[in-house]
Amino acid sequence: MKWLVAMLTAVVVMSTAALAHQLNVFAYVEEGVVIVESRFSNGNLPQLGEVSVLDAEGEALMLLPVGEDGVTRFPLDPAHADTGLLIEVRTGEGHDNYWILTPEDIARGSGS
Amino acid sequence: MKLTFATILTTTALSAGAALAHYGMIIPSDPMISQQDGRSVSLEVSFSHPFELDGMELVAPVSFSVTHDGETTDLLDQLQPATLMENAGYTLDYDLERPGTYIFAMEPEPYWEPAEDSYIVHYTKTYVSAYDDDEGWDALLGLRTEIEPLTRPFGIWEGNVFQGRVLLEGEPVPFAEVEVEYYNEDQSATSPSDLMITQTIVADADGVFSYATPSAGWWGFAALNTAPETLEFEGEDKAVELGAVIWVHFEGWTGQ
Repeated sequence: MKWLVAMLTAVVVMSTAALAHQLNVFAYVEEGVVIVESRFSNGNLPQLGEVSVLDAEGEALMLLPVGEDGVTRFPLDPAHADTGLLIEVRTGEGHDNYWILTPEDIARGSGS
Repeated sequence: MKLTFATILTTTALSAGAALAHYGMIIPSDPMISQQDGRSVSLEVSFSHPFELDGMELVAPVSFSVTHDGETTDLLDQLQPATLMENAGYTLDYDLERPGTYIFAMEPEPYWEPAEDSYIVHYTKTYVSAYDDDEGWDALLGLRTEIEPLTRPFGIWEGNVFQGRVLLEGEPVPFAEVEVEYYNEDQSATSPSDLMITQTIVADADGVFSYATPSAGWWGFAALNTAPETLEFEGEDKAVELGAVIWVHFEGWTGQ
């Protein structure tokens, strides 16, 4: 669980910010592609925003825009299948949240 | 017959027990599963007097399903027999594949209750939120009778008012009787009077009722109506009590 501890440490600040105004973030794997869904708790889609992808050690891997439909896609690097990914979404001041894509999540998606 | 004090007490205890309210129960391991909690929820499905932890046999239900994002999935064949409150019940582990509200619902077989000389059918439902997303908490299932939550039925504080509307065949039931009972899971609650085990309230002309709980934990709300049809028991037509049961979890207040 070392990877999880590292990820949770990295997102403590973000999780605090998320309480102020909720942005829901959910990510999963489908056919080798990571799909990140971002949506406000009232159902609205973020119009602007960026998605940060970090590895299990908290090192930034890529920065992507939030799509118009609130969805962001990127190919899964198999090297991260055993350690997972931390996916942070920022849409504005206080409108942040994250999803920890665990190795189990990745394995589940790889089997679909 | 010589009546002893002990005999009288025993008789009284039995009759008092029979007067307790019946509840279909679907109790999840957690009503709000966050991503840190895992990716599944465990359910206990039973039939009981929940304050007294007095279980009754729950035979295989007519239906057991989950509704999420407008789609209902039959889970009947996934129920695992289990012993709950010393009686037959079921458990189920269910994977929560996406965020949102999962509504678990059961229609049981009619239960013959000799003490009330009637059958009991409690349509029971419970809500589980996945991954901090409450989308879909206000969806109706279209059960023959159900309580429409007007308060989100999870993520509420102890002492909050829970409000619901009683529906029968899809229509509000004016002045419906609603029984409220606490699932006394750790047996920490005691009642100074049998009258206080089951709280009784009456809905308004639109079928809307309100109740404020005194403590955190699982609270069951059962709206009771009598079906127009009867069922036969030993050659006689008997009344059928239709119950709309909703289980709501109240969280302990964290402030001072």
